[in-house]
Amino acid sequence: MGKYSQDPQWADITPLPTDEGGPNPLAAIAYSDEYAETMSYLRAVMAADEKSERVLALTEDLIDMNPAHYTVWLYRAECLFAVGGATEQERQKSLRQELEWLNDTALDHQKNYQIWHHRMLVVDKLGSVEGEQEFVEQMFDKDAKNYHVWSYRQWMVRRFDLWEKGELEFTEGLIGRDVRNNSAWNHRWFVVNGREGSEGVKDKGVRTREVEFAMQAIGRAPGNQCGWNYLRGVARKGGMGLGELKVFVGQFAGLEGGEVRSSHALDLMAEILAEEEGGREEAGRALDMLKEKYDPIRRNYWEYRKVMLGLPAAGAAA
Amino acid sequence: MSLVAGPGRGGTGSGQLPDELGLVVQKHVAYIQSLDTRRDELESHLTEHLRISGIYWGLTALHLLGQPAALPPEEVIEFVLSCLHDNGGFGAAPGHDAHMLYTVSAVQILAMVDDFVELEMRVPNGKMKIARYIADLQQPNGTFAGDEWGETDTRFLYGALNALSLLNLLPPQRKDEPPLINVTAATDHVKACQNFDGGFGVAPGAESHAGQIFTCLGALSITGELDSFLGEEGKDRLGAWLSERQLDDSGGFNGRPMKLVDVCYAWWVGSSLAMIGKMDWIDKKKLTEFILRCQDPEEGGIADRPGDMVDVFHTHFAIAGLSLIGYPGVMLVDPA
Ligand SMILES: [Zn+2]
Repeated sequence: MGKYSQDPQWADITPLPTDEGGPNPLAAIAYSDEYAETMSYLRAVMAADEKSERVLALTEDLIDMNPAHYTVWLYRAECLFAVGGATEQERQKSLRQELEWLNDTALDHQKNYQIWHHRMLVVDKLGSVEGEQEFVEQMFDKDAKNYHVWSYRQWMVRRFDLWEKGELEFTEGLIGRDVRNNSAWNHRWFVVNGREGSEGVKDKGVRTREVEFAMQAIGRAPGNQCGWNYLRGVARKGGMGLGELKVFVGQFAGLEGGEVRSSHALDLMAEILAEEEGGREEAGRALDMLKEKYDPIRRNYWEYRKVMLGLPAAGAAA
Repeated sequence: MSLVAGPGRGGTGSGQLPDELGLVVQKHVAYIQSLDTRRDELESHLTEHLRISGIYWGLTALHLLGQPAALPPEEVIEFVLSCLHDNGGFGAAPGHDAHMLYTVSAVQILAMVDDFVELEMRVPNGKMKIARYIADLQQPNGTFAGDEWGETDTRFLYGALNALSLLNLLPPQRKDEPPLINVTAATDHVKACQNFDGGFGVAPGAESHAGQIFTCLGALSITGELDSFLGEEGKDRLGAWLSERQLDDSGGFNGRPMKLVDVCYAWWVGSSLAMIGKMDWIDKKKLTEFILRCQDPEEGGIADRPGDMVDVFHTHFAIAGLSLIGYPGVMLVDPA
């Protein structure tokens, strides 16, 4: 006897057990009894198109047991918007309650994406982003690279026009905490360049600010590819000549007996040299160093770069 | 088929080096078959939403291992068709709502098992029905929703194109008929997902991710725009980013900078590199060794990384990865 079949509040419902399975062994699914019972009540209320408080409680139970069941989420959202209350105030209150419940669920199931889709629907309906930044930051404290949470954050920025409301500082904080957080770097690019109609790093002032930001981060961790990728991206989109970066890059890629502090610097230096009059040979030397010493796992790639410069190949590597 | 991880772990057991051991083909076949008999496990409701995809992964792996009949085709077809809804979509399992992802898995399975023969026999005009379900999920901006609630991402878009192409109902395949979907809008959306680092994300602005790169390249490849959109420069840049996913210490790939390696990226990264003709930029020997280290040499099955529980998802992608690099005894796979 299960929780629902014994509950007088549910006595009016005849559960609909699944006919999943049958004679086909591939189709049979093993359920725990509790889950199977709860699902059979959900099927029954869905068939009757019941949208009520008790159905909300039922879906909550099911989501606790299996947060990846998309049907349950869809029906919960329908239900929530249908029973949300008679007045605007009541509706707001019920949506807020939903968010509170979602907070715990999201923290418990960090890999689940239905939660974030559901959250989007609720916050969109609510029409207010209040408290959301804080919650997202709480999620990032647990995993600052969670892809679903980042997608949600970008949705928030677009939906509520948060481009200039602390987003840049937010990325600065995260990158300050972990300079190797590529997701935070990507978000910074998005905030700077992603707004419709904005010039982004094509604007000289913005470009200078972003170049400096990247250079500082590289100074803190020269081996970190995120900073270098960002710097390249800014230079490229901002229409800078790579040569403008030569002095900076040289500090990390000393070719003439200097210290190589970053394979990424050496890579960029090879590109800078290749663009210079008579720099091809030296570029080739940088590529050789990458191939032989600093990044040998990609020896064929470095060899390809040499060939593209018109330099002789050193016989095909394995 | 149960999708619960385990029972085995990758990289445990026999003291042999992966090189000497090789791919334990028979054990992987037995592992995939055994998933069907492990239905009694209490927790399987947690993964049932993936069942039809699980069958696709298991079946593809068996095909690649040269033993397609190890899961009985009649039972597979029976199960898949039991997930079909009147609207032409498929749910993850009987009784589950239709969803794009599972519809794509169903189409892939039916194409592989009997080229839709049984479907057409049982459901009049079945192929067209499925195609219409997929086409109806296209949004005005070219993307595809996963279900009627409109969640969209590039996975769904690629899945839609892939399934329509298998059904032979993609507009370029049917030049004389009114197009079912707007291919140009779909392709434009994919292009908008490209990032400053040369990769692609799940939506415009989202971080580059090897799995999303695969879906975007796959979509461009199906619509015939891969070469013209990327150009040689774009391929070089993307190839550099993708080859940088291989880590020197383990030989495996990660999916984004500064993340852990995972055997499934052998497929996402590898097939992406293959689509742009840069497969030689990685160290295939090191990758092979990494994949072999993720096997459970005793019970079969492959884990995301050595020491973790095996599962059918990673078993499939690891074997597909080996196929890309021409591992002996594994059939060749089409990267898109
Ligand atoms: Zn994986």
